[in-house]
Amino acid sequence: MLQYLMILLDDTSTSYCHYNNKKSESKLISIEDLKAGIFFGMTENLMIQYVYPSHALPAEYEDVLESIDHSKIMPADNPNVDEADVVVFNDWKQMEGFSYSEGVSYVLRINKSDLFEQKVLIADTIEKTTKLNVVITDVESFCDEDFDTYKGVLQLWSEKLEKLYAEGKSPLLNLLTDRMQLEEMNNCGAGESNITLAPDGKFYVCPAFYQTNSDTIISPAFKAGSLEEGVHVKSSQLYKLDHAPLCRKCDAFHCRRCVWLNRKTTLEVNTPSHEQCVVAHLERNPSRQLLENIRKHGQFLTQQEIKEIDYLDPFDVKEEW
Amino acid sequence: MSDYIYSYRESGSSKNITFIVTKDCQLACKYCYLVGKNAKERLPWEVAKKAIDYVLNHEQDFQEESVVWDFIGGEPFLEIDLIDKICDYIKTEMFRLNHHWFNSFRFNFSTNGINYDSQKVQEFIKKNRQHLSIGITIDGTREKHDLNRIWKTKDGFSPKPEEEKGSYNDVVRNIPLWQEQFPGTGTKVTISSADIKYIKESVLHLYSLGIHEVNINVVFEDVWEEGDDKKFEEQLIQLADAIIDGEFYTDYTCSFFSENLGKPLDKKLQNQNWCGAGRMLAVDAAGNFYPCTRFAQYSLRDKKAWIIGNVHDGIDKNKLRPFLTLDRCTQSKQECIDCEVAEGCAWCQGENYDAAESPTVFERSTAICKMHKARVRANNYYWNKLYRKLELEGIAREEADKHVKKSNFQEPC
Ligand code: SF4
Ligand code: SF4
Repeated sequence: MLQYLMILLDDTSTSYCHYNNKKSESKLISIEDLKAGIFFGMTENLMIQYVYPSHALPAEYEDVLESIDHSKIMPADNPNVDEADVVVFNDWKQMEGFSYSEGVSYVLRINKSDLFEQKVLIADTIEKTTKLNVVITDVESFCDEDFDTYKGVLQLWSEKLEKLYAEGKSPLLNLLTDRMQLEEMNNCGAGESNITLAPDGKFYVCPAFYQTNSDTIISPAFKAGSLEEGVHVKSSQLYKLDHAPLCRKCDAFHCRRCVWLNRKTTLEVNTPSHEQCVVAHLERNPSRQLLENIRKHGQFLTQQEIKEIDYLDPFDVKEEW
Repeated sequence: MSDYIYSYRESGSSKNITFIVTKDCQLACKYCYLVGKNAKERLPWEVAKKAIDYVLNHEQDFQEESVVWDFIGGEPFLEIDLIDKICDYIKTEMFRLNHHWFNSFRFNFSTNGINYDSQKVQEFIKKNRQHLSIGITIDGTREKHDLNRIWKTKDGFSPKPEEEKGSYNDVVRNIPLWQEQFPGTGTKVTISSADIKYIKESVLHLYSLGIHEVNINVVFEDVWEEGDDKKFEEQLIQLADAIIDGEFYTDYTCSFFSENLGKPLDKKLQNQNWCGAGRMLAVDAAGNFYPCTRFAQYSLRDKKAWIIGNVHDGIDKNKLRPFLTLDRCTQSKQECIDCEVAEGCAWCQGENYDAAESPTVFERSTAICKMHKARVRANNYYWNKLYRKLELEGIAREEADKHVKKSNFQEPC
C-alpha cells in the first residue's frame, strides 16, 4: 500500500540512494504541479517527502511547500540545510568539519574505493550522529577482492559500535544496526509503499527511473502514471515481496532490495544481482555478531534472534528452499 | 537405415545451444513469430567460432551431461556451408579439449524441408548421421499447409493475397527421403485461429504420409477469436473419434491427447517453470547471447531484445538469475494458481515477456486459457472413449499401455 510520496522539486534534486542523478540542468517542478502533487498526497493520505536540489528555491514556493506536513531531504550543500530532516552527502569531503544536529538522519553516498579509504572518517562520524546511512553507489561493481575488503571495513565499524554501545550510547549505522532491530523485511519499497513525482508532472517507480538515463534500464514501463491519471504502477505485483523469489526467503531484512539496481543488473525489478545479495549478507552476518557482542555488556534486544547461516548469496541455496 | 538414428543419451540433463544462422527464409509463413525477418543478417563464421570457443572453454559453467547444438533461422539449410564448417569445428574442438560432451552431443535442425534433398544437405546428413536430428515442418493437408506456409515474393516480401503460392508440394516430395533417413521422427504443427477447422484432416493426412508422431500445439499469441474454443473442441473430438475408430492409437500419436493433462497442480510440488529459457543459450549474427531465440529482437513485437552477454565478454550471470528463479506460481495469476485444469497448460517465456505490461518474464500470458480448457475437455473424451473400447475388447486398464502408443512431446516454448 502506498504510504509515501517523494516529490522531486527540481531535475537536479539530490539523489539519496544508489543511483547517480544524471540530470545537470535545473528544471523546477511547476507551482501548479507541486500544488497538485500535494493535493494528491493529501487525498491519498500519503506522507510527503520533498527532495531538494543544491540551490535555494524561489520564494513563491515556500508557502506552497509548507501547506502540508512533510520531511525535507536536502543535499549538504543546500544553503538551507539546517532545516533538513535528512541531509545527503554526495561527497565524503562535505563531512569534514560539518556540524551535525540531533534528530537528523545523515546519508553518505559513496563509491566503494572512497568507502574503503575513508573507513576511519566514517567510523568517527558514527559517534557524531544519531543515525548514519551509508549508501554505496557502485554495489554492482564489487568483485571478490572488494567483498574481502568490505568485510574488514565492516569489522572495524562493528568494533566501534560495540564500544559505543558498551559506553551506553546507541548510535545507528544502517549497514550494521538496522538488521539487529528488524524482525521482517524493511526494504526501499519503491513502487509499493512509495512513489515519486518528478518535475515533469509524472509519477515514477523511484527517482532513479527519472534521473538516470540508460536506455536498457529505463523504459516507459517505469513511468507510473501522471497527476491527471493518478498512480498506475505497471506489473505492480512485481514490487511486492511475495513476488520476489529470492528475497521472500531471505532474512537480510535491512537490505535495500533496490528495484532500480535489480533492473540494471538482472533486467527484472524483483531479482537482485549476486553483488547486491553478497554485500547485504556481508552486512547481515556481522550484525548478528555485533548483537551478540553488545549483549556481553548487558541486556540488549532480548527478543531478537539472528540465525547463523553459511551462504552469502541466497541464489546459491535456492534448491534447498 | 538405423545408422541415421542419432545415438543421443536422453537421460540426464542437456544443454541447448542455438545458432541463429540466418534470418532469411524462402517462405513468409503467416504465423511466423519472427517479426523482424530479413535476408541480410547471417551469422558470420568468426562469431560462431567465438561462441563455440566461449562455450567449450567454460566447461565449468556448462555442466549438463549432454548438449544439443541447434541451428535455426529463418531457414537454417540456406546456410549449409556455414553449418558444415561450424559442426566440423565443434567436433574437432570437443575432441581436442577432451570435453565431456564429445560423446554426448547432437546437431538439431528445424527446417521447412524445401532444400532437404539438395546435394549439400544430403552430404552433410551422411557426414553427421550419428549425431543428427532433423524435423521438417509440414502443417497437414495441402489446403491447411498452403494457408499459412506460403512462398515469399522474389523481392523477399509477403505476397499480396491474390499472389500467394503455397509450399506444400515442395516439402511433401522430401518426406519419404526424410522418413527413410530419420524413421519415426515426428513433425511439428502449429495451430492458429484460421487453422482450427483443418485439425482433424491434417493430422490424419500426416499419418497417411507415414509420419507417426504429430507434435501439435496452438500458438501462444493472443490471436483467438470468439467461439474458437468451441470449434477447437469439436475438431479434437472428431479427431479423437477418427483415431480411436481407425485404431491409429496403436502406432500413431497426436500430442494434443495426453494423459498428463487437465488436473489441478500443487502449489509447492508442481511449482516449476514450464519453459527452458535461461537454461538454453542462443547466439545471433551480432554475437549477442540470449536466454532463448525468442528473446532476440527479430522475434519480439513490443519489447527490446533480452541480451545476456556476447561472444566477447561472455555471459552476464546476473541476467540469468530471473530465469533460474522463475517458478510457476510467481508468474501466474491467482486464477491460474487455483485452476482446476492447470496441468499441461503451457506458456512460452518469450511470449510472456512480449505480452507483459512491463519488461518482465514474471507475467504469464493467459491468451491460450480458453483453448487449453477446450483441449482438456476433448482430451477427457479421448481417454474415456479409448479405455472403454479397450475394456470392451477385454483389455484391462493396467494392460492398456501395451496397446496404446503415447506421445512424449512437451509443448515447445
Ligand atoms: S540479500 Fe538479496 S535476496 Fe536478500 S533481500 Fe537483499 S536482494 Fe533480496
Ligand atoms: S491460463 Fe487458464 S487454463 Fe491455463 S492455468 Fe491459467 S486459468 Fe488455467
